[in-house]
Amino acid sequence: MKLPLSWLTSMVDIDLPVEDLVEIMSTHGLEVEAVTRPGAGAAGIRTARVLHWAPHPAADKLRVVRVTAEGGEGEIELVCGAHNFEVGDIVAHALPGGHVPGVTGPDGAKGLDLSARAIRGVTSNGMLASARELELGDDHAGILVLPADTPLGADFTELVPLGEPVIEIAVQADRGDHLSVLGVARDLAAILDTRWQAPPVPEPVAGPTLPVTLDTDGCERFVTWALEDVTVQPSPPWLAQRLAQCGMRPIDVVVDVTNYVMLELGQPLHAFDLGSLRGPSLRVRSSSGGETLTTLDDQVRELQHGDLVIDDAERAVSLAGVMGGLDTEVSAATTRVLVEAAVWDPAAIRRTSRRLGLVSEASQRFERRVDPEGAARAAARASQLLVELAGARAVGTEHVYREPTPAWSQRERIVVDPARIRALLALDLDADEQAALLARSGSVVHLHEDQHLDVEVPTWRGDLKRPADLAEEVARLHGYDAIPATLPTFEVTGGLTPTQRLERDARDAALAAGFDEALTRPFVGEHALIGVVPSDGRVRLANPLAKDAAAMRPSLLEGLLAALRRNVGQGRAGTALVELGRVFRPVDDPLADLLDAVVDADWRWRAPDGGDLPVQPRAIALAAQGLRLGERWLDAEQRWSVFDVLAVFDEVVARLAPPDAQGWHLDRVPADRPGLHPGRTAVLRLHGHEVGVVGQLHPDEADRRDLPEPVVVGELLLEPLLAVVPDDGHPPVKAVPLVKHPALSVDVALIAAEEVPYAVLEQAVREGAGDLLDGLWWFDEYRGEQIGAGRRSVALRLRLQAPDRQLTDEDAERVIDAVAAAAEQVGAALRR
Amino acid sequence: MSEIDVTEIDVSEIDALQTEALAAVAAAADLDDLEKVRVRFAGKRSRLNTLQKGLRDLAPDERRTRGQQINALRQALEAALGERRQQLAEVALDTRLESERLDLTLPPRRLRPGRPHLLTQVEQEIIDVFVGMGYRVAGGPEAEAGVFNFDLLNIEADHPARQEMDTIYVDGFDDVVLRTHTSPVQARVMTTTSPPIAVICPGRTYRADAVDATHSPVFSQVEGLVVAEGITMGDLRGTLLAFSRRLFGHEREIRLRPSFFPFTEPSAEVDVSFEGAGGNHGWLEILGAGMVDPNVLTACGIDAERYTGFAFGIGIERVAMLRHRVADIRDLFEADARFLRRF
Repeated sequence: MKLPLSWLTSMVDIDLPVEDLVEIMSTHGLEVEAVTRPGAGAAGIRTARVLHWAPHPAADKLRVVRVTAEGGEGEIELVCGAHNFEVGDIVAHALPGGHVPGVTGPDGAKGLDLSARAIRGVTSNGMLASARELELGDDHAGILVLPADTPLGADFTELVPLGEPVIEIAVQADRGDHLSVLGVARDLAAILDTRWQAPPVPEPVAGPTLPVTLDTDGCERFVTWALEDVTVQPSPPWLAQRLAQCGMRPIDVVVDVTNYVMLELGQPLHAFDLGSLRGPSLRVRSSSGGETLTTLDDQVRELQHGDLVIDDAERAVSLAGVMGGLDTEVSAATTRVLVEAAVWDPAAIRRTSRRLGLVSEASQRFERRVDPEGAARAAARASQLLVELAGARAVGTEHVYREPTPAWSQRERIVVDPARIRALLALDLDADEQAALLARSGSVVHLHEDQHLDVEVPTWRGDLKRPADLAEEVARLHGYDAIPATLPTFEVTGGLTPTQRLERDARDAALAAGFDEALTRPFVGEHALIGVVPSDGRVRLANPLAKDAAAMRPSLLEGLLAALRRNVGQGRAGTALVELGRVFRPVDDPLADLLDAVVDADWRWRAPDGGDLPVQPRAIALAAQGLRLGERWLDAEQRWSVFDVLAVFDEVVARLAPPDAQGWHLDRVPADRPGLHPGRTAVLRLHGHEVGVVGQLHPDEADRRDLPEPVVVGELLLEPLLAVVPDDGHPPVKAVPLVKHPALSVDVALIAAEEVPYAVLEQAVREGAGDLLDGLWWFDEYRGEQIGAGRRSVALRLRLQAPDRQLTDEDAERVIDAVAAAAEQVGAALRR
Repeated sequence: MSEIDVTEIDVSEIDALQTEALAAVAAAADLDDLEKVRVRFAGKRSRLNTLQKGLRDLAPDERRTRGQQINALRQALEAALGERRQQLAEVALDTRLESERLDLTLPPRRLRPGRPHLLTQVEQEIIDVFVGMGYRVAGGPEAEAGVFNFDLLNIEADHPARQEMDTIYVDGFDDVVLRTHTSPVQARVMTTTSPPIAVICPGRTYRADAVDATHSPVFSQVEGLVVAEGITMGDLRGTLLAFSRRLFGHEREIRLRPSFFPFTEPSAEVDVSFEGAGGNHGWLEILGAGMVDPNVLTACGIDAERYTGFAFGIGIERVAMLRHRVADIRDLFEADARFLRRF
């Protein structure tokens, strides 16, 4: 809401510099967003009459114009590009030496200092200004043409307060009363503890008007004024300026007056062309749907059940509170006008306005509730202005109320305990002081003998309904600054839960390995590469922001690959990214079955009615491409590989799994997955179930994404590790006695067909070595003629140890023999 | 080899031997050389050793005299060897040290652990501040039931925030939204635990805002909730003052301005003071807060007559952008490694 200062001060006594006023407003619930001074700097602008014009001899689109000189006498010649004026019109003439603030120069600079200059051979002494050039609005289709009774030779800045401060406030959702100059003036009076006054308005006129019936609880009251002899003409500059200052475009005096009064008093008005209303009667009803109405914007609107409409004797003529009908619109030929001010059910207006996507200045005000007592004043004010500015004659007034008062409009007195307010706010205000503060904002307050306050709030304050609302009002008017700073003491202990600590551990493992953490927007389009447990299941959005963001990510990979691409585009030699976050799948997705199988705890999120929410487990994903060390070490040609990803996931499981528990490691099983390299992809299994996948991007997929190969990715579900953490955490890790005897180191090499995975060989070695095995590392892989084509040799170093004795060569021999035997079981031979 | 008659050797020969040996020691160029000299003059097959062995054939008088002469020779030789060895060892060490010189102004191979995201760092810092004040940390789903996101928080069915212009709805469900704040976690906490409650709820949140320099459809919050007997608005102010000072500096002040949120009453926007360059100072809005609306307490099954509480919501992006002067919110979500590694 924009508030021209002169308008505001016409209704409330303010004796403060604007800066101080703005500060006070901001700290008392009138949040100031900006203070502008449209038209500031305008100088040397005089009203003048057009005496003569002729086409420019050297330019088709220009006119050479002669206007009255300063003081209204003599003649000045100038060149003008506009065509919307005729001889006799009164215009705003910016003279040489003057300044026009609303012109943007070719260099982008605002404002133009005028001097006499030749335009295609004709000397132009200044210019005729448009509304935009004077910052009186956006209109630049032609120059300003002023009303015929405008005095000649007058300084334009004396006619309208160009450059005065306009204070723009952000209106809180519950403060519909702030959507008017009067409303803000009233609140400022309460804040500053001073007086306010509404503009005086004429008394109702007894005379012929239209009878009105209210057939719905959606309308609380309906006020009309019938006007005759209306001349539809442009509004005077002062009124046009105020509309422009408030961001509205002047149209004609009838429309402008209804807008003006809405801004001034907060009550939206509608002006019907009385001549087009068939009747003569009006009926207000709630639509039962299935009818249409063409609104002012020439759109055919289909009405639905519950839309509030106004009918004349034959048809719907207005979509109440939202937009009037086209058929009864005021036109240039209108001479009889019906001004209507009604009070509508906020909820009904909101429904209709949202459904039709029709948000108007009126609907915004009705949605936030208007002061029911303000309707009569607003209709009278508009009629008064039309009498003044459009030559109208008021012939009749009608006030109709819905009986009994609809429930949504009923107000009850509020009973509050000042002691509670005082305790809640930690403000040392007694009952009398609180009562005085509430009275400042217009409430009628009675202090009862039992110290309770009985509060009747003013009709314009729809936000004050409960004791808590009055507590805020007390604090607001007293000033939030007075609230002391104390710290609560509570009998609870805080801290991260064990699960939250483990989430940090998972991230740390990836960071330690050199992956930078990325946070990407979790939306995907139709195509998305999926890591763990692929499925077509998508959690789609009902109102997505974009087509390529129509669903929630089913996997973290898509966001990371897009991020990799952006980094490649920056010319980076290598990028490694990790993201932790939720992935989203439908309730019945295979991922849900997997979690059911592997998580021995309730992992689902539910609505209060027990309904399942989308499956949204936590996961970690990695994606890397290019050189490991980036461009800083040109000697290091090492590239990110699938093994880097595997290493991180192993470490994550090692850190997150319950200590010393069986089976909490990832089994790697070669796999073939869409988008991934068939020979370089493995599924990661926990307790036999797929919880992760690691692979290199398929060459075609990398090509499609314009990513230089190799690109490695991996995704691991964290939920199976996190959901099972007990509230008090996993049991602590227990120390094991450190064996004093030295360990024995034994190397073995196993030869097997290429198809036999290392994991199988390692498992055989472990089984063979038995209890003496303390540790195991593979250190060589060999292919060659010596062992035959299609075969490979894998060398492993075994560390053997017994807790109670020094091992001997015989122990080593026994282990080697046992390993050989176990290897044979899986088709491998020990290389002696 | 024939035995040598030690008596036949005269003193001058011993002197000559000593002169020769000491000269050889002095001439040894390195430790290997010196070892050869030692073997030649003091080793098993040296003249000195031969002479020493011959002593036992002499008469006692003779043996003593000659023995003293030979011992003197041996001692002189060993002293010289020792001294020269030390000299040569020092030279050798110096040579080695010189040869091993490294230019330590060369950059080392960098440790290159990854960096946690700026938002993670700020979120953890905020969490740690409140954990230090005794708060628990709670989480919840991002695709959330409308009841938790709205109804229990006093946001009525026709509240503007529920309309599509602000909220992203999940298709195929009756009333599931991408949570618009982390307040539904507060609702989950209040409906499952009894006061006293002191909890913070960090996490991702969503609004139907198109992406530009200051808007993002996804952002993150840390919300806080305290519900207990006798909680006052002063407690809210004190808590937020302590938080602001921990995060922005000990000289900071805060300012509460009246505002409106459906789930708090009274409500406040909270500004923190700043002192910029050139004496420029003022207030920056950092968060919204208020006393928990009695309707919320009641809806969540808490006795609003007995308990009061406060709640606040901090935008992590906003804090990160203010504190680290990030001008464009998109930088936080584009994962440009130059940005990620800056923090």
